[in-house]
Amino acid sequence: MASEINNNEVVLEVKNLVMHFKTKKRGKTHKVKAVDDVSFSVKRGETFGLVGESGCGKTTTGRTIIRLYNPTGGEIYFEGQPLHGRMNAKLRKLITDNIAMIFQDPIASLNPRMTVQEIIGEGLKIRGIKDPAERHQIVVDMLKKVGLMEEHATRYPHEFSGGQRQRIGIARALVTNPKVIIADEPVSALDVSVQAQVINLLNDLKEEYGLTILFIAHNLSVVKYFSDRIGIMYFGKLVELASCDELFKYPLHPYTKALLSAIPQPDPHHERRRVRISYDSSIHNYDEGENKPHYFEVRPDHFVYCSDAEYPAYEAEVKEIEASLKGE
Amino acid sequence: MLKYIGERLLAMFITLAIILTLVFCMIRMMPGGIYDELEDITQEQLDALYAKHNLDKPILVQFGIFIKNVVTDWDWGYSLKLQPNQTVWGILGDKIPITIYENIFSLMISIPLGIGFGILAAIKKNTWIDHVISVMVVICISVPSFVFASLLQYFIGFKLGLFPIVYEPGSTGFAMFYSMTLPIVALALNPIATITRYLRAELAETINSDFMLLARTKGLTEAQATVRHGIRNSILPILSTLVALFTNIMSGSLVIESIFSIPGMGGLMIKSINAIDYNVTQATLVFYSLISLGSILLCDLLYGVVDPRVRVGGKKE
Repeated sequence: MASEINNNEVVLEVKNLVMHFKTKKRGKTHKVKAVDDVSFSVKRGETFGLVGESGCGKTTTGRTIIRLYNPTGGEIYFEGQPLHGRMNAKLRKLITDNIAMIFQDPIASLNPRMTVQEIIGEGLKIRGIKDPAERHQIVVDMLKKVGLMEEHATRYPHEFSGGQRQRIGIARALVTNPKVIIADEPVSALDVSVQAQVINLLNDLKEEYGLTILFIAHNLSVVKYFSDRIGIMYFGKLVELASCDELFKYPLHPYTKALLSAIPQPDPHHERRRVRISYDSSIHNYDEGENKPHYFEVRPDHFVYCSDAEYPAYEAEVKEIEASLKGE
Repeated sequence: MLKYIGERLLAMFITLAIILTLVFCMIRMMPGGIYDELEDITQEQLDALYAKHNLDKPILVQFGIFIKNVVTDWDWGYSLKLQPNQTVWGILGDKIPITIYENIFSLMISIPLGIGFGILAAIKKNTWIDHVISVMVVICISVPSFVFASLLQYFIGFKLGLFPIVYEPGSTGFAMFYSMTLPIVALALNPIATITRYLRAELAETINSDFMLLARTKGLTEAQATVRHGIRNSILPILSTLVALFTNIMSGSLVIESIFSIPGMGGLMIKSINAIDYNVTQATLVFYSLISLGSILLCDLLYGVVDPRVRVGGKKE
C-alpha cells in the first residue's frame, strides 16, 4: 500500500540515536546497547516501517523518539526542532502535541479503572479543554471515527474485545491531533482477521488526517502491506533502509535476506522449495577504527549499513541487479 | 446490588446464629463451676443462685431463654461474677467506646503513614530508602504487638517519661488521648507495616505498567502520571484491606488493653473467661463476631465500589 508521497519534506529525523541501558547483575554493571547509532528520516505523509526480530531495539527506538527514555546520544528532530536535550515543560508539550503513540498491548495500555471517556479525554484535559461537555463531544466524535459508538464512552476497558480496545488506543492517540503517530506493533496482539480491520482503519485515518506513521512491527507481511519505506533493525542497528518494493525485491544486507527468506508463503510448492538463509553476525568484523561501519547509499534511496571494506561486494551485487533490470 | 446486600446480610445472620450457638454451648463446657471458690455457702443458697440465673435448667432451655430475652427485651442477662448483678449490656456500654476510641485512632494514624511509606518505597524501589522501609516492615509484621507495647512502655514511658505507662481511668479529651498514646502506637505498627507492604507491591507493579507509559505520551509529567494513574489505581485495592485491618487491630487490642490496663473490651473478655462469667463472655464474643462479620461484608461491598471490574449486579437474562 505505497501511497503517493508528494513532497520530500522530512518530518521526523533521527541522527545517530544511541540508547544504552545499564543493568546490574551480581554487582557487575552491564551495558545493554538497545539502540546503537541509528539514523533515518521519515517524510511527511509516509508510513515508515521499522522491522526486526524481538529485542532488536525497535520499540526502544520508538519510545526514545517520544522521550519515554532519555537517549544516551544522538539527535532527534521534529520539523527541524530538536527533541533531544533536557526535558522541560516546553519540550514535553512540543513532543506530545505532535507525536502520539499506539501501544502493542491493548489490554495493559488502558488504565482499567478509568472509563473510555476519561482515557481518551485525558490528553484533551491537560491541553486546556476544561469543559466536560465539550470534551465529551470530541471524544464521541473520535469514537465514531474509529468505528465505536457513543454509548461506549462510559464503559470500562475490560468490557471491550481486543480489536475494540486497540480502536480505543487509536482514538486516544488521534484525539490530540498529532502529526506523527508511533505505532508500536499495534496489531501483533490481535487476531489475524482483526489485524486487517485495524490496519485498514489506520490507513483510512492516515489519509483523512494526513498523518505520518512510524510503524514498528515484526510481521513482514503486515509491514509490506502498510509501509512506504522500511528500515530493518538488527541488534540495535539499522542495517538496511529502502522503499518497500525495493527492499522486498532487492534485499542486499545478509540479515535482510535472512529475514525475507523466513516469510512463509501460502503456496505449498513454493514452501517446499523455500530456502531459509541463516544470518551470522560474526561475518562482519567491525571495529572502531578503519573498519567502522556507516550508511552507504547503494542505490537511490537504498541504504546499507556496512564498512568500507564490505562496500565493494554490495556494489558488485547492485551492478548485477541493474544489469538484469536492463536485460528485461 | 440491594439483592446482593440482602443475601449477604442473611448469610451473615446465619453465621452469627451458628457462632452464638457454639459460643453458648462451649463456654458452658469449660471446666470448673462458677461458684466453686465460694466456700461458706450453703447448698440452698447455691441452688437459689443457680435458679436465679437459670443455670439449673437443661442447656437447651437455657439457650431458649437467652435467645428470647435478647430478641424481645435486648436483655443480655446479668453479670454472674465480674460485676455481680449489673446488666451485661451496661458493662459493655462502658467498655465499647474506649475500645472503639483506641482502635479508630490507631487506624487513623496507620492509614496515612502506611500509604506514605508505601508510596515512598515503591517510587524509590531498590534504593536504600526502600531497603530501610522494607526491613522495618518485616520487623513490624513479624514481631507481635505486645513486644512493642512492652518496649514502648519501658523506653518511652519509663526511661524517657514522655507518655504515661498505663491508662489513666476517668480522663477525658486530650488527657485521654495522651494517656492512650502508647497503646495506640503499639497497635498501629502492624497495620502501618501491612499497608506499606501492600501498597509498595501494588504501586511498584502499576508504575511499570503500559498505561503509565501511555499516560506520559499523552503529555503528563512523570509526577502527574504517578499520582493520577499509579497511586489512584493502587490505593483502591488497599481501601478494602483497611476494613480487614480494623478487625486485625481489634484482636491486637485484646492483649494491648491488658498490658496498658485499659478498661476496654479486650480486657473484659479475658477477665470474664478467667472468672467463668458466662453472660459477659458470650456478649463480648458476639460483639467481636459482629465486628468481624460486619467488616468482611463492608470489605466485599467496597471492592465492588472501587473496582469496576468486580462490580456485582451484572444484568442477568
